[in-house]
Amino acid sequence: MAVAPMAVAPELLIKNLFVETYRHKGLVVAGFVLFNVVAVILGLTLAKSYVSSTTIFVEEKNIIQPLMLGAAVATDVTERSRIAKEILFGSRIMNQILEDAGWTQGSPSDVEKERLVEEIKKRTSVLNVGPKLIKVEYRDVNPQRAYLTTQKYAELFLSESVRNQSKESYEAYAFIDNQVNEYHAKLIETEQKLKELRSTNVDARPGTEAEIAGRINALQGTIERTTLEIKEAQIKQASLEKQLSGEAEVSISMTREGQNMGRIAELQTHLDILRLSYHETYPDIVRLRHQIEDLKESVTYEQQQREVAGREARESNQIHVDESLRVNPLYAQLKRELFETKTNIETLTTRLNETRHLLQSELNRARRVHAGEATLVEYTRDYEVNRDIYQDLLRRRENARVSKNLNRDQQGLTFKIHEPAALPLRPSGLGFMHFVLGGLILGTLLPVVAIIAFQQIDPRVRFPALVSERLKLPVLATVPHLISPVEIKQSSTKMKRYVVVVLLTLGFVSTVSALKYLEII
Amino acid sequence: MSKIEDALKKARSKASSLNGTPLDPEFPAPATMESPVSGTSLDLYIESQRSIARMKEFKPLSAGELAEQRIVTPGMEVDGVSNAFREVRTKIVQAARGRNCSVLVTAVTPKAGCSFVALNLAVAFSLDETKTALLMDSDLANPAFHNLHGPEDGPGLAEYLETDDLAAEKIIHPVGIHRLRLIPAGKTQNVRREHFTTVKMRHLLAEIAERYPDRYLIMDAPPILSCPEARILADACDLAILVVPYGKATEAQIRNASQAIGPKKLFGVVFNDEPSLPSGLWRKSNGQHRAV
Repeated sequence: MAVAPMAVAPELLIKNLFVETYRHKGLVVAGFVLFNVVAVILGLTLAKSYVSSTTIFVEEKNIIQPLMLGAAVATDVTERSRIAKEILFGSRIMNQILEDAGWTQGSPSDVEKERLVEEIKKRTSVLNVGPKLIKVEYRDVNPQRAYLTTQKYAELFLSESVRNQSKESYEAYAFIDNQVNEYHAKLIETEQKLKELRSTNVDARPGTEAEIAGRINALQGTIERTTLEIKEAQIKQASLEKQLSGEAEVSISMTREGQNMGRIAELQTHLDILRLSYHETYPDIVRLRHQIEDLKESVTYEQQQREVAGREARESNQIHVDESLRVNPLYAQLKRELFETKTNIETLTTRLNETRHLLQSELNRARRVHAGEATLVEYTRDYEVNRDIYQDLLRRRENARVSKNLNRDQQGLTFKIHEPAALPLRPSGLGFMHFVLGGLILGTLLPVVAIIAFQQIDPRVRFPALVSERLKLPVLATVPHLISPVEIKQSSTKMKRYVVVVLLTLGFVSTVSALKYLEII
Repeated sequence: MSKIEDALKKARSKASSLNGTPLDPEFPAPATMESPVSGTSLDLYIESQRSIARMKEFKPLSAGELAEQRIVTPGMEVDGVSNAFREVRTKIVQAARGRNCSVLVTAVTPKAGCSFVALNLAVAFSLDETKTALLMDSDLANPAFHNLHGPEDGPGLAEYLETDDLAAEKIIHPVGIHRLRLIPAGKTQNVRREHFTTVKMRHLLAEIAERYPDRYLIMDAPPILSCPEARILADACDLAILVVPYGKATEAQIRNASQAIGPKKLFGVVFNDEPSLPSGLWRKSNGQHRAV
């Protein structure tokens, strides 16, 4: 349980601080001596160093960035010092520095060289001092060496950067050139393909499709129309044939033979009626039978006459015109129309077939054109894309060529030494006097601070007020420390010793300081 | 009655002139004895004075020896140490109200200066010519007053408790300070703790209390937190004083120690060994000890 000294008045605390300091005077003196001696030793060993610095101006753009827009990412500002560090601490530059700045005088072994390089790296700091400025700082006890090393840093950094840059631009050019060639080959290939397609597919040209579609439409219209016409003609034919079947081919004129036959029939009828009422012997009947007999004879005669005439005509090759026959005119007219209709149907059928054939060929052609057109579009697209890229690359190649040439002639430098390294004349860092003063101040203050800290954290009771206030116990009396004569003697001897020790320390410090000062002069 | 009152007044005024602080019987004390004694007669007082004057004394210690033993001397008028012990004495006298009283001095931690406080408290009592003090070293494991003890080195408390036929007078020794007697711890080692609870111990305490009027028994006890004997003695005594050393005991330790003694017996705390600045040291050495 820590006792919070807040319950105690500040003046009591301060008084207690003095009391405690006096109580622990041995510790205070020991701390004082220790700090001073350590400070003097540190001041002697950690000698002042010389800092030489150089500032390098770095252009924002790198060479490939404008060439390959969007392809490369711009270098970050914060990364720049890191990159510079990478370049500077590369084995090429470090080895060069080792040689040029006079580190390799004793012809050190590889291990020693490695150690030296590590040491140089440790003493080098690379800083971003501005958006485009890199500061390289090098610290050394030897001002000449500090200057040389820093100078070499800047020189080598520049040459290395230029080398890198020209390499970079050359590589960029080579890359673009390679791409150009590649695209050129591609373009030629596509062109060739396109040519072949055109030669094999004459129809394959823009607009063919629409034309073919029009023709197909026309043909289909024709087919429809022809089919209708054929149907019409067939109906006409059917009706004509129907009419024709009802008409006699020849009409028979009333001949004598016919007249006689008619008379016979008349008389026969009359005879039949009379027979119903009379006997055969009835005069009228007899007369009638005679009359019929006569008529029959006349008919037979007539028939014989006609047959003879026909036979004679046939024998003498003469045309015999039966005077009883005569051609039917209506029949003839119908027959004619029927013929015409049949001819018409045949014509139309032929035309229909022909049109259908045409349609088929037209459809085939359309199919062919479709396939060709797809390939054509593909080839054309390839061709156009390749052509665009090729043209773009050609342009870029020219840019790259210019950049490359610029770099070759060291015209496009993006690095330059902004502030060259200078020979440091005055050492920087903490001087010997700083160390001595620091030792004196720290040696006096820190033991007291330690006592204050101890007073704060030590839970043991140092104030009688705490006992009465916090523990509610009556404090009868506060007995001060009673010093016996022996103690007085001891403490005064101790005090004298401490004074001697402090004086000796001060003497040591001042002697060393004086020596150091004289050495410097 | 008026005679007695006069005598009492006289005695008080004498005491106050010696102590430097006026006595007030109504002064509230943290722990008081059970009944105030009002019937102290003048005869009794004169008798006590006579008996005190008859006390056999050892060759007195010189001022140099006293300083060597770290004992408060009457010449240390300016010293805070002397005043502090006188203050404690006055408070005890007030609490005792004229009766003999046994005071236990124990510490929170070892090496707290408990023996120093006990001795100087006893000396403070002895400075008053009307009072005698008996210092008993009950810290048998770490006897403290062997330097003070007379040249013959007689038997002590340990011998008294271990031996059956040793009279109480035999272990009470003069030490060269007027009106101060000492019961040393004795040379016998490994005394059983149970002796403090025996009838013999109680008998010794009673006998001591009755030997002289106005006798104050100061018991130097071992640290209360580490030794059970201290608690046993705390039960046996009238008042207990807890010595808190500067910068050695934590608040928790003090609280535990006060609880171990108990609020009935705990008279108060003496804050011991408060260091002072060197200027005081030089002044002290110039003004006082150099003169010796």
